[in-house]
Amino acid sequence: MTRIRRGYIARRRRTKIRLFASSFRGAHSRLTRTIIQQKIKALFSAYRDRDRHKRNFRCLWVTRINAAIRENAASCSYSTLINNLYKRQLLLNRKILAQLAILNRNCLYLISNDTIK
Amino acid sequence: MASQAASSAFNGNMKKALAGLKRINLDGLRWRVFDAKGQVLGRLASQISTVIQGKDKPTYAPYRDDGDMCIVLNAKDVHVTGKKMTDKFYRWHTGYIGHLKERSLKDQMAKDPTEVIRKAVLRMLPRNKLRDDRDLKLRIFPDSEHPFGDRPLEAYVMPPRRVREMQPRARRAMIRAQKKAEQQEQGGNDKRKGKKREVEAELT
Repeated sequence: MTRIRRGYIARRRRTKIRLFASSFRGAHSRLTRTIIQQKIKALFSAYRDRDRHKRNFRCLWVTRINAAIRENAASCSYSTLINNLYKRQLLLNRKILAQLAILNRNCLYLISNDTIK
Repeated sequence: MASQAASSAFNGNMKKALAGLKRINLDGLRWRVFDAKGQVLGRLASQISTVIQGKDKPTYAPYRDDGDMCIVLNAKDVHVTGKKMTDKFYRWHTGYIGHLKERSLKDQMAKDPTEVIRKAVLRMLPRNKLRDDRDLKLRIFPDSEHPFGDRPLEAYVMPPRRVREMQPRARRAMIRAQKKAEQQEQGGNDKRKGKKREVEAELT
């Protein structure tokens, strides 16, 4: 059989991967074999962290709500606030409560004082 | 001002007290004062660590250091429960084989009482890159004098604490000690042993 060169097939595949890793640091954006490995790791991290993202933010919101609630003299803690909200069937989620804690703290205090009664 | 007179009272520690103040950014921070007199060591350190991390602010973010400056006064008057004064050991290894060194709480308080609280708080902070910067925000003084009198200071009110009931055996021992002290008082007041037991009864 005649000798067949594969031509540009491999190069086309590798430039796509190289484009993906174009903003990585050092050898991770320059060396082909390293780029392939780093792309796999990056995609895996993205997959895993899409769920972690949700957990992390909820954690952050809980901490912020806790801090804001404890500064109020009347209400005690995050746990009591959430319990009271559930008893009153108030469906505010932690994201909104955290935003209230930063931007409109008086509103949050109104809500918590109302639910305590 | 009385604070100026107090600040000139300890010239030796001025450098240590003001060390690294320039490195701390953003003086939108508050200066909170903790009085360690009569506080239990670990419970106080726990509160200090939440303040230093900035976890009592609703704008907390884990990636940046936004905690307030904490000044702790009367570090030599901090309490520990149980027999920790003689039995709690601070241990460290120097790296050489067999050189595990230890020092008891009593010796550490005699040597440098501020280290006790500093170690307690540092060991309660998360071990990340912000830990050293948070260390800079902690200023501990053994007495109630500090050079920061001209800053706007806020006293920190410790949250109310539920002290649990004494365990039955300890309570019986305390009652026995009190009864013995009363008997000693009725007997002779000049014996040394009697005085020691009085002091013990007063402490309990």
